[in-house]
Formats: sequence, C-alpha cells, structure tokens
Amino acid sequence: MVDANLVKGECTGTIKFTPPLYKQRYQFIKDLVNKYKLRKVADLGCADCSLLWMLKFCKCIEVLAGLDICENVMKEKMHRLSPLPGDYLQPSERTLIVTLHHGSVAQKDPCMLGFDLITCIELIEHLEATELEKFPEVVFGFMAPAMVVISTPNSEFNPLLPGVTLFRHPDHKFEWNQAQFQSWALDAASCYDYTVEFTGLGAPPPGTEDVGFCTQIAVFRRKYPNTGETINLEKSTENPYRTIFKAVYPSLKDEKYLRNAVVSEVINTAQIITRRLLDSFKSDYKEHRNGLLELKPDFQLPHCFTRHSKNPSVAEAEKLADDINMETYVSGNAVYIPLIKFFSIPKVNKLCGTFENLSKLITGKVALSNDGSAVVISTEHEHEEKEIE
Amino acid sequence: QISAGFQELSLGERGGRRRDFHDLGVNTRQAIEHVKESKTGTSGAIIKLSTNHFRLTSRPQWALYQYHINYNPQMEARRLRSALLFQHGELIGRTRVFDGTTLFLPKKLENKVTEVFSQTRNGETVKITITLTSELPPTSPTCLQFYNIIFRRLLKMMNLQQIGRNYYNPNDPISIPNHRVIIWPGFTTSILQYETSIMLCTDVSHKVLRSETVLDFMYNLYGQVEEQRFRDTCAKELVGLIVLTKYNNKTYRVDDIDWDANPRCTFKKADGSEISYVDYYRMQYNQEITDLNQPVLVSQTKRKRGPGGIMPGPAVLIPELCYLTGLTDKMRSDFNVMKDLSLHTRLTPERREREVGRLIDYIQQDDSVQKELRDWGLSFDSRLLSFTGRIIQAEKIHQSGRVFEYNPQFADWSKETRGAPLISVKPLDNWLLVYTRRNYDAANALVQNLFKVTPSMGIQMNKAIMIEVEDRTEAYLRALKQKVVCLLSSNRKDKYDAIKKYLCTDCPTPSQCVIARTLSRPQTIMAIATKIALQMNCKMGGELWSVEIPLKQLMIVGIDCYHDNTAGRRSVAGFVASLNQGMTRWFSRCILQDRGQELVDELKVCLQAALRAWFNCNQHMPSRIIVYRDGVGDGQLKTLFSYEVPQLLDCLKSRSQKIDLPRLTVIVVKKRVNARFFAHAGGKLQNPPPGTVIDVEVTRPEWYDFFIVSQAVRSGSVSPTHYNVIYDSSALKPDHMQRLTYKLCHMYYNWPGVIRVPAPCQYAHKLAFLVGQSIHREPNLSLSDRLYYL
Repeated sequence: MVDANLVKGECTGTIKFTPPLYKQRYQFIKDLVNKYKLRKVADLGCADCSLLWMLKFCKCIEVLAGLDICENVMKEKMHRLSPLPGDYLQPSERTLIVTLHHGSVAQKDPCMLGFDLITCIELIEHLEATELEKFPEVVFGFMAPAMVVISTPNSEFNPLLPGVTLFRHPDHKFEWNQAQFQSWALDAASCYDYTVEFTGLGAPPPGTEDVGFCTQIAVFRRKYPNTGETINLEKSTENPYRTIFKAVYPSLKDEKYLRNAVVSEVINTAQIITRRLLDSFKSDYKEHRNGLLELKPDFQLPHCFTRHSKNPSVAEAEKLADDINMETYVSGNAVYIPLIKFFSIPKVNKLCGTFENLSKLITGKVALSNDGSAVVISTEHEHEEKEIE
Repeated sequence: QISAGFQELSLGERGGRRRDFHDLGVNTRQAIEHVKESKTGTSGAIIKLSTNHFRLTSRPQWALYQYHINYNPQMEARRLRSALLFQHGELIGRTRVFDGTTLFLPKKLENKVTEVFSQTRNGETVKITITLTSELPPTSPTCLQFYNIIFRRLLKMMNLQQIGRNYYNPNDPISIPNHRVIIWPGFTTSILQYETSIMLCTDVSHKVLRSETVLDFMYNLYGQVEEQRFRDTCAKELVGLIVLTKYNNKTYRVDDIDWDANPRCTFKKADGSEISYVDYYRMQYNQEITDLNQPVLVSQTKRKRGPGGIMPGPAVLIPELCYLTGLTDKMRSDFNVMKDLSLHTRLTPERREREVGRLIDYIQQDDSVQKELRDWGLSFDSRLLSFTGRIIQAEKIHQSGRVFEYNPQFADWSKETRGAPLISVKPLDNWLLVYTRRNYDAANALVQNLFKVTPSMGIQMNKAIMIEVEDRTEAYLRALKQKVVCLLSSNRKDKYDAIKKYLCTDCPTPSQCVIARTLSRPQTIMAIATKIALQMNCKMGGELWSVEIPLKQLMIVGIDCYHDNTAGRRSVAGFVASLNQGMTRWFSRCILQDRGQELVDELKVCLQAALRAWFNCNQHMPSRIIVYRDGVGDGQLKTLFSYEVPQLLDCLKSRSQKIDLPRLTVIVVKKRVNARFFAHAGGKLQNPPPGTVIDVEVTRPEWYDFFIVSQAVRSGSVSPTHYNVIYDSSALKPDHMQRLTYKLCHMYYNWPGVIRVPAPCQYAHKLAFLVGQSIHREPNLSLSDRLYYL
C-alpha cells in the first residue's frame, strides 16, 4: 500500500528502490508460489487485486481468493481477474477459480479453509487493536494454511523516508520496529504450531545497515500436516463473508472444452493429410499430362523457423501423413483416414488418454465412416456462381 | 504544408479511435431550407414495423449534475486524483462517474462549491474543490456520452467481454473446427438521441476468433506455399488483420512483419532498463515463448498519449502470443467458409429479435445492473420500438421498347427479361478467346453456348479467334491483343491481376476473365453464358435495361473508396457519373492516393471531367447534380461537410460563370448500420419487403436522413441502407429524393435485380476495387465511358 520507491539517503542525495517496493513485495510472493508450486492462495487485504492478478498467470495456481473490508476498492478493478478471450481460445490444462469476498480478517468463514498460502501484505498495520487481537486466532488457528506471509513497515526505517513524521500512511494504526514485529510473530508461531523466518525488502543505504529493511516480512510454515480441514469445517457453519466476484476459468478438465480441443486437433490434422494427398495426386496428374516433371520445392523450414522442442501440430501431421499414406484411401468424393492414426498424435493422445475416449469425444462432431473407424473428409466443394469474374 | 482541416480530408479509413463514431453535433439539416419543417415522404403503402431500438427513460425532473474537480496542490496521476476524491464517499455517494477532472453525480450537493481535504500516502494534505458546473437535462449531448459510459459498465457487470467496440459472451462459443474458427455471440450497442427520444440501439454482433496463434498460422501457410513466396504471402494474409494478445485483453492491427527481429531482441522498458521479449513475457505474464526464431509483428499505435500528444512507438508483438481474429481476405472469398459461418451468423428476423431481447432481459433480471440503473434514475423499455414505414411503388423495367414487371418480393427480374433484346448492343465481331490446353473443352463449350444465347439479346457475334497458351502469366499476356475473353485455369490472383493491369493501362481493351471451373457443369452453363454475354456487352459500352427517371438534365455521381491493407496502404477512390437521361451510360475516373493525402483537389478534377463528358453527350450542362457518396467512415461526416461539399460547389461555380449554376445534392450512403427493421405479417416477424422506406423515429433530428430497404435476402435479416442528405439545393421533395434513390438501386448491370445501394455507388466500388486490388494505377482514359470494371 505504501509506495516508498523514492528514498532520500542522508548523505548521498536521492536513491531509488528499483523496482518500486510494492512491486518487489508482489514479486516476493510470486517467486514463493512458483518455487513451491503452490495451488491455493488467498490474499487478505487484497485491495485492488493487483497481487491476485499477478498470481493468476502462475501455471501452478488453481484457487485464488481475495478478502477486503472495502468492497468498492475491490470492485474497481476486479474485472481484471476475469478470464481473457485467450483463456477461452486455448483452455489450459489446469482449473482456476478466482473468488473475491467482502469481509473482515477478524471473522472466520469456512471459505478460507484449505489454502496452501495466505498472504497479508501491508495489512496488519491497518487493523484496529481489537481486530489485531483476533487476527492470529483467525489466520493461524482457524484458516491454518500451510504457509502464511505477513509484511509490514519497519518503523526504524522511517527517519530515512522524506516527509514521514509519524506513520507512512494516515490510515496506519501503528508501525512496529523489528523487535516488536518479531516478538509478535514468534508468539503467534509458537501458539499455533508454526515456524517463522524473517526477511525483508528495501535494504537501507550503506552506513545505516542496522535499521533493517524498509519492509519487514515474516514467513510462517505450519509444523503439522494438513489434517484439520474437516475438523475446522465443524468449527463454524456461519458465512460472514459475502462473495462479490467469482470467475471460473475454462479448463480442459471440463468436457466441453476438452471435446472442442480434441475435435479441432483431429480436423486440423485430417485437413493437412487430405491436402497433402490431393497435392500429390495433382502433381502426378501434371506429370502425366505434360510429360514433364514440374519441380516442386521440398518441404523445408524457412530460415527463421527452426523447430525444436515444441513442434506445431502441422509438422507432426505432415510426418503422419507420410507414415499413413498407405492406410488412407480415397473413395468417391471423400478421403478416409483411420481413426487409430489420430490417436498416435502425441497431443491427441495426451488429451484423450484412451482410444475409446477419443472415439467418444469426437462422435457426432467429426464425420466418421459408417463403422466409426475412419475420419471422412469431403473433397467436394460447392462454389458460388453469383458473379463471374 | 496543408492545414489541419485538410489533413483530415484524406480518404480516411473506417474505424480509428479518437473519432466521435456517431457524428454527434454535426447539424446538416438546419441549412436545408425545404426540409426544416418536415423531412418525411408521403407516397407508398403503410407497413407496420418494429426495430432493434429501446427507449431510455429517466425519472421525472431527472438531471445529471456535472462538477469540476480542482486539486491544490495540483495532482497529475488520474488514479491518485480518483483515490483522493473518493476518500469522501459519504459526501459524493457511491453512484458516480469520474474521469479525473469531471465528476457526474445523480444528486445535487448542498453547496455550489464544496471544499474538502484529503491526504496522500506521503501524508501531504490536498485541498479538493468540487464546483457544480452544470445541471444537464436528459437530452443534453453530454448526457449521451454519460449514458454510453454507464451502459458499458452494465455490460461489464453482466460478464460480457469487450473486444474492440463491442461486447461478447464468452460462455457459449460456437466452434467451427473445419475452418479453425470460433464465434462469440455478442452485442453492439449505442445510445443516441433519435427523432423523438433517446434510445438504445442494439444489434447482435458475432466476433470471429481463431483458436490458432499467428505462429500456428504461419507454419500452416508455410506448408502450403512455395518457399520464395512465403514471406510475401504471409504479409498479404496477415497485414491488416486484428490480433488479440494472449496475456491481456488488447487488440492490435498488424501493420508489418519484421523478419529480421526475433523474441530474443531487447527493448527499453519505461524505467530505462533493457530486456528481451522472452524474458519480459516470462517475468510479466509467465508466458513461455518456445520458438525463439519467429519473426515479430509490428503494430503502429494510433492513440495519442498524454497531454503533449507524444506518439508512442510501434508495438512489437510475438506471433506465438497472438491470436488471430476476424477473417482473412482468403477466407472471405472462400464460399465454403462463408456458408458455414452464415449458418450461425445470419439470423432470421425472429431469431434476431429473440437475441436482442435477451440483452434487454439480462438488463431487467440482473440485480446489480438494476440497482445501478435505479441509483442513476434510469431505465429501459422492455419492448422493441414499433412504428410505421412505407413501401414505395415497385419499378417497371424498360428494355428496348418493352416493359417488364417483376415480383417486388424477390426484387429480381432475371426470369422476366430472359431472352429479351437489350437497349443497345455492341457486336462481338473481332475477339480472342485465350485458354490453356487443359481447358480446351470448356473454351469450346463457352463459345457454343454464347452462340445460343446472344441472338435473342440482339448481339451480333463472330467466331472467336481461339488461342491456346501455356498456363503462365507471360504466355497469357503475349496472346492478348484484341477484345478478349480469358479462361483462367484457377483462381490465381496474380494472373488475373497481370491480365487486367495490361488490358486496362498499356493496351486498353475490354476483357472478360472466366475461371474454367465455373463452366464445368453442363446444367448451369447456359445461364452462365447468358451472364457472361451481358457482362461483356456492358464492358464494350452496351446498355441493358432502364427504369423511368422523370427528372430531366440530371447527372448522378457515385463515389466510393477502397483501402489497400497491404504495404503502402494506398487508397483508391472510384468516381462515376451518369451520361444520359436513362442512367444507362456512365463516365468514370479514379483517384489513387498515398496515406494522408487529401482527396478534394482530385475530386474537382473528376467532376470537371465528368461535366465535360456530359456536355459532349448532351450539348448542354446538367441542371442538377446528385452525388451519392459511399465509403464515409464513422465520425468523418463533419470533415466531409465542411471541406468536400464546398470544393464540389467551387468546381461548379468555376465551370459555369454565365449560365445557371447546377443545383447540387450530396447524399452520404452507409451500408454498415446497426439499425434493423422487422415487418409484422401473419403474427410473425419478417424482413420488410424491398422498397420499404423509414424516415421517422429512428432517424436523427439534426439530419435530413432516411433508410431504404431496397434488396431482398434469401436468408437472415435484411440490412437497411442509411441515406443522409448533407447538402441539398435541389429543393426536391423528400418523397422524390427517396424514390429516385430507390430507382437507382435498380440500375446495376451485373445483377438483374435491386441491390443495396444506388448503382453509381456499386460501380464506383467495383472500379475502386479493381484498381486497388489489381491495377494499382489509373486505368487508360480511353476506357472511361464504359463499364470495363464490372
């Protein structure tokens, strides 16, 4: 909440935190999430949802929740948390649900149970004494996530900040020095069976090292394994929080999206095979008609396109087309491609798992031969004859 | 150096950001004396219609209170300004719109000037002065802007996704895997002051998205074209398309492909540090770029940023992280793609009404939307607006002394006039037919069938000189010397372009190209030969049919523009002008101009040339000139009115010093409008019949405008065409103006029926398209009195 990105050193003139501290704090969380592959993260005091927005891009994240006492500040930018068109166009493997709740960190609501990480970035200094008193019981005792990260200003750093007289923000109820924060954190940890480590962001200028980081951070880890979820559920049946936003991201776990992905992959590949096949017929025909061979450049990659690890499906289909040319056949105005061949495409294979599943997913969506063993691609096209050019 | 006003007067493209899309505040009607009282027509049969407009209603005595917000000390950042002001939530309330300077509230604060104090994060105290600047009635133009802002907010609340100007529902996509296309249904909406009330106009919109990235598309294309043509083809297909980035919700127009750059290149961030694209996207969005050798896309940003108007540099985009949207030209010209799409996007009137009604239902049912509306004191009618239109009398087709009537429901007289002699014919005595050996049979079939169909039309035809060529462009060109029909083996644009370019510039000769495949079906070949014969006759200067035009000494002008999306982005304006009373012969010129060049001077040259041509044909000057101006983008009306019209007037003044000045009328023709009309017939909603005129309720009070539904459609809902008479010294009654316009929709010789726009617009379009797509320079002037561009 505090952008102390401009720090005036006592002797060196103006120095700068780059990137600004608030960004560093978010990055700190993001690194933590990526490092431990955390799946469920809640941000208490999420304000304009910036941190949640950053976290939604982490591939490991499956559940994100935000809580704030101020509904309006959340509402202002909450639509940033909605899925993007791109998320619908190529749904991801993982599921992702983002929820925003309106409520207080002094209240217990079962929707905050079962998280891997709960973050309280620059939150506690905004709490009234009565709220702060309840806070450890709610977060460590009730929510009891595997990890908790709490950050707060370090008051020892304040003399280095220009214009700060009492607190860094008018809404701050207190600002602690290092000893105060650490003693509070150690108490909470021991009381609720957590370990705690201290770190911080925004190192002081040379010569003033003993004041410590501008932002002090405590990282808590739960000592006992996650068994308490069901017990916790019984603790409270009330739901004091009000959900104000919920976004369910499209995912391949949802059959609707899985089906679409498989169908488009199959049709895509089938079209490439068909095109290759017809091209080869055409060039045979040309040779036959003209009695001379027209040189067709070999299929090779443009200089700027070298394919390594992740090949676009085109290349695979071209390869496949060569492999299965023998089993693909043309009858009437249609090309028949054995379905079993599609199952050998790595992407299709991965999506479907079993051949039966592939068959099930595409039935009714892709034209199949009568016995269902081959994909049928029609080669006859209708043409418009309205205006002739 | 050209003045700012003139700078804008290039053949501006449609779209663009900074414009006022609705041309608000351009009042062209007040200067037209004879429509001040009434601009409505009278003739025709009454028809009951409804339209996709909903009335916006507000509480009685409703007003919007506009405040100016001042900060002391001055605060720059908009976010900060908002945060500081909103610290006073109790005072201003939750219902508000604030853009950083202007605050709109539904209530009046106690005092005219209110001073409050806020604190910044640094503890600095800021004095905020809230000054009431005006009390706006519901019809004020500022309110319209405000309604649109509020409405967009509502759409967002309903979880619709904004893409470009419209809103779409991502939850029920229609997937068409055959063409790798996904369609999102959605809505286009606008709230405007119409004739008698403020209304929401909403239409169904479909966004075509593609589930492939630009990189996928490039690989795919690479499999289909030869290596040496790859980059060119790639640019041709991609430049001009709109792409959507994976990581945010922004759309960009592809202006160029930089083949020398790749994702490992670096750029300078706002804080001055250098970072590569790969690292940037990984850090910022966790997006891994897997292909490090792909080129990058370049998009010129249009938006001016900051008060200094500093243009930001072009945006660089990574193909792998961009999805394609919309259709490529190739897809658009693919009949199968369009057919499959139209299954989903062409909605019958009944379905369209249902879909539009769904938006209104959402609005009525969503609690938070209703609350927002209530807080502002606004609401929408829940039913489509109903009113009456008029169906003007059907036209009779005159052809060489005979008069034909046709079924006005179908707006097509191909059956009625089949085999009837044409108004004027040109002999096909000395002509070449060029074909490849493979198409020998098709060439013969064409000649035989032409011999069958031409006698009844009155066309004299000799045997063609048959020339067999190899299927190479140079071979075709070598063979071309006289009146020509070319039989093309495939729909390859480069051959067509080369032939047309040669025959329109270096060696001006009427020519007709036919794709061999169209002649392949014996059951349709007669019909096709008929069409080809008619088209060839027009191209040589013949005339087919006419309708009765009661006005004498009338010259009709049509203007349309074509914008080349590929490199250079040249624009072409087609200009056609009638030469005779029956509107059967047309003079044409075209204007080619580079981006940013102005059109006016060239327009004068065209009009002067047209007047000369008219004089040569008629031995006197026209007494009236009516200009149908197509190709005007949203928001360009003002420029058109204040620069183009005076130039046309100037040109007339300088031509005729002694004799009477011809009277001038300028009509802006718009095909892309969101208004739709439904006719009530037999308890069902249907398309209004051809000839339906609408000049009440949904027109704009500050304009002399009307809609005509002139064409018939076989499927889906018909689109009306909007006509806006922006200048008129003709003193013609609105009724006559409407009927004349409808008559001109009958005169397009490539289609034996009524079309969507007056024929001169369609001719101008064809000309501009041919020049822009194929010829790329001004065609030979010796062709200018014929319809060679058909």
